[in-house]
Amino acid sequence: MRGLWPLLLLLGQAAPAPAPDDGKLPASVEKLFEEKDKDGKPILGDTERAYMKKLPLHTRELVGKDVDALTVGGARHLKALLGPELSSQSAAIIFSDNCILCHTDPESQKKIHLFSSDPKATQSNELLNFKNFVSDVHFRRGLSCAGCHGGSPEKDVMTPDIAARWPKADLRHADRTWIPEFCARCHADPSFMRGFNPSLPTDQLSKYKESQHGILLLQQKDSKAAQCVSCHGVHGIRGPKSRLSTVHPQAIPETCGHCHADPKYMAGYKKDDGTPLPTNQLEGFRKSVHGKALLEKGDLGAPACNSCHGNHAAQPPKVSSISQVCRTCHSQNGTFFDGSKHKQAFEAHRWPECEKCHGKHEIAKPTDGLISDAPDGLCGSCHAQNAKDNPECNATARYFRSSLADLVTAGQRLRPEAEELATRGLDAEPIYASLEELNEDIVQTRSRVHTFDRGGFDQGAKAGREAVAKTETLVQTARKEQRYRRNGLLVSIGLMSFLAVVMGLKIRELSQRRRAQEQHRRTP
Amino acid sequence: MIETERREAPPSVGERLYRWLDARFRLGRLVEFVRHKEVPVGGHSMVWYYLGGTTLFFFIVQIASGVLLLMYYQPGEATSYESIRYIIARVPFGWLIRSIHCWSAHLMIISLVVHMFSTMILKAYRKPRELTWLTGFGLFGIALGFGFSGYLLPWNELSFFATAVGTDSVKSLPVIGQWLLEVMRGGPDVTINTLYRFFALHIVILPLLIVAVMGAHLLFIQVQGMAPAMRHQRPDRPGLRFFPDFLVRDLLLWLVCLLLLCVLVYLLPYGPGIPGMEWELGKKANPLAPAYPGIKPEWYFLWVYQLLKEFPAHLGPMEGPQAALLLVTVLMAIWALVPFLDRRASRGQSSPMFTDLAVAALIFMAYLTLKAWDIGGGGTATKLPDPRATAWTCAWIVLGVSSAVDLVRFLVYRQRWLAFSGAALLHVALNGVFGVNYLVAGAIAMLVAIAGVVLTSRKNPAAGLEAPK
Repeated sequence: MRGLWPLLLLLGQAAPAPAPDDGKLPASVEKLFEEKDKDGKPILGDTERAYMKKLPLHTRELVGKDVDALTVGGARHLKALLGPELSSQSAAIIFSDNCILCHTDPESQKKIHLFSSDPKATQSNELLNFKNFVSDVHFRRGLSCAGCHGGSPEKDVMTPDIAARWPKADLRHADRTWIPEFCARCHADPSFMRGFNPSLPTDQLSKYKESQHGILLLQQKDSKAAQCVSCHGVHGIRGPKSRLSTVHPQAIPETCGHCHADPKYMAGYKKDDGTPLPTNQLEGFRKSVHGKALLEKGDLGAPACNSCHGNHAAQPPKVSSISQVCRTCHSQNGTFFDGSKHKQAFEAHRWPECEKCHGKHEIAKPTDGLISDAPDGLCGSCHAQNAKDNPECNATARYFRSSLADLVTAGQRLRPEAEELATRGLDAEPIYASLEELNEDIVQTRSRVHTFDRGGFDQGAKAGREAVAKTETLVQTARKEQRYRRNGLLVSIGLMSFLAVVMGLKIRELSQRRRAQEQHRRTP
Repeated sequence: MIETERREAPPSVGERLYRWLDARFRLGRLVEFVRHKEVPVGGHSMVWYYLGGTTLFFFIVQIASGVLLLMYYQPGEATSYESIRYIIARVPFGWLIRSIHCWSAHLMIISLVVHMFSTMILKAYRKPRELTWLTGFGLFGIALGFGFSGYLLPWNELSFFATAVGTDSVKSLPVIGQWLLEVMRGGPDVTINTLYRFFALHIVILPLLIVAVMGAHLLFIQVQGMAPAMRHQRPDRPGLRFFPDFLVRDLLLWLVCLLLLCVLVYLLPYGPGIPGMEWELGKKANPLAPAYPGIKPEWYFLWVYQLLKEFPAHLGPMEGPQAALLLVTVLMAIWALVPFLDRRASRGQSSPMFTDLAVAALIFMAYLTLKAWDIGGGGTATKLPDPRATAWTCAWIVLGVSSAVDLVRFLVYRQRWLAFSGAALLHVALNGVFGVNYLVAGAIAMLVAIAGVVLTSRKNPAAGLEAPK
């Protein structure tokens, strides 16, 4: 037993605990906190100290090394670096990157070359927005200034190879043709990109070369044409999933519209048929069913410009491909149309299929009113011009319209009935479920209008009529139950009233008896 | 000859059964007690004597309908809501039983509150019935407990959030607040554990408790009889025989209550739609969903809910809700101890001060309840009600009705003790009409009430306060 003591003592001895991190700042950093401005006030205050204390120990040590190496030159420089209150990860990158350290030092750089949280206020270059820069998808993956500008972030001085990678300033602003190839150095290299984002495509440049923008820029040397930075920006590039990104689905209409909705900028550009390229697409899109879904309802599944035109390979879809573009989402309507009589007629006339009836950028939410054989109606006006002697078509249009109207009216009539029954305490859930089926059938029936054939249409309408019949049966059953309850109540009221009358008579009899007893007692 | 034949006729089955039981349990004493039991007549309306009975009737309905619901209700995260849905939609007459249970619960509380206030105003609590009042007060508390615990059981959105808000107020209690909150909820948040607790409370703990307290309450009434009117009001008339005269009347009223219940259940199966008095199942509770505005507890808790809202976040050294709950506790303690405070009534003397106290309590609670209902606030589904407009409208309603009541008391019943109700009306007027802060208005009203008490007692020592010896 005695022999166990050393072992117990050994087990009882705790492993040396790591020293607690008390947020202490390196001595050289502490010295900067003592620096004062010309008014005698400390340059670095409690805010900066509190932020510094929150940084991990190794980052604080990194700041200390920078101060010792004079890459952080003084209190004002440190204040500029701590000002945006970056995340600890961003801070660790920044304090080990000499490019950024130098371009944040107000003592050694001209204002125009300084990173700033508010470039306008500090008269800095607007591309040097510090907050945007640290949010950039490249920066967050470790690609900093040197990645594009050249040089090395570890070196203390700028070397000539930095300037060598870029065209001269006046040239690179006038001629933008160098940009796609420059970005493609990495983005067209699958083995390089695999190391960062294996799922990101690397065919952007090849697609771009075939796009209208690419043809204009690379073949016709038109530097007004959009290239990478036109849509993605320069510093502050974010992935398409970021709400702040210029290529987020909800931002794309504005990004494209930046040029395409500007008549001055687009002046001179023409369509294939020689007519001027319109600039009302953005306005039309905003009013369209797609635009409202995307921009107002926030439905990210709704199409933006790139959904129909492509992004890097952006081109206006040809007449032959418009219907295929629409079919990527509206596949069922496309299938119905393919089997319809209209298919051949449209091909014969070389009409774009969907666009002919629904329009393009300003596609309104289709209503049953579109199906009209009136002379100014959608069907009527076209048929009057192209298929005059075909009364069967007009009858079919009227049949579609009236069948849909019957289904819709039935739904509108039955829903308030269900609501009224629900307030009466009846179980309306099966009725609501049946009404949902009816709604689904109406959607299907509307889609089947694209068969332009009674037989095809009736497959949907029949299901709708069955749903109406089912709902009506459920409503009638509920009404029957309601009558049963009412009759039950009336019978109960009758029985209880009868019992109450009997009890009332008994009470009267008892009262009379008590009065008689009282009188009898008083009478001598 | 005939007499002899009668005497020799064999006793009926009923008679033989009675004799058999009487030989064992001495039923004769009970029969003799019932035969001589009387209900006092005169002095005031007989109506007030029936209210305890109607409360008992609704309680019996609660037990019966509750047991039927229990045959199908399954507590659990995946079953509570679903089983209630099943009861409403599939179980034959399930909708009827649930609706009866809900309606009867509210009618029971209404009947109980009226019974309590009538007892207060008629001074039926006076010596020797102090314990009857105390057990009645206990029954009131248990009934509220039934309401609170039963509310959560359907596990729908409304009940979930109302329980979350209701239990949260407990947190403000000093020292034990957080502990009590976790005991009530079965954890820091309202979860299915809370439902299990409330279920156990609703169907086991509270029923056992209420049977015991109600047993005592009824026993006291049987032993002491119903309280007669005060001596100065009482005419010299013989009482009404309890059996069968009073009992038949009582049963007739029960029948009318049943009839009322049936009509209400058919016409308004989910309640009248007043906040705190509706039980449409709606959506299933989702603890992750955000609470929507306008969640309110049941109507009988609304005055406390509104009082909590009237208090600021901090009041001196205390938190606002803490101070509000302290005030409620003090008021409740005063209410419970009324039989011991009202010395005049205990000697059989008129005690208008406590009559006025009851009226003041009604004014106090009515104003808060109306405000909690946002009456006149112009709130809609998208717009929050305007508290100032609410206070204005509610104040005028309360001032109109209560002034009329006080006027009738003054002119018809010749009551001169109006200090408390007057102060309560002043409180309402200051807050609702003139926009004075609720607590400031309350403090002013309290000072006025104290001054009123002092002045009235100086002017007429026999009017309300203890007469100087």
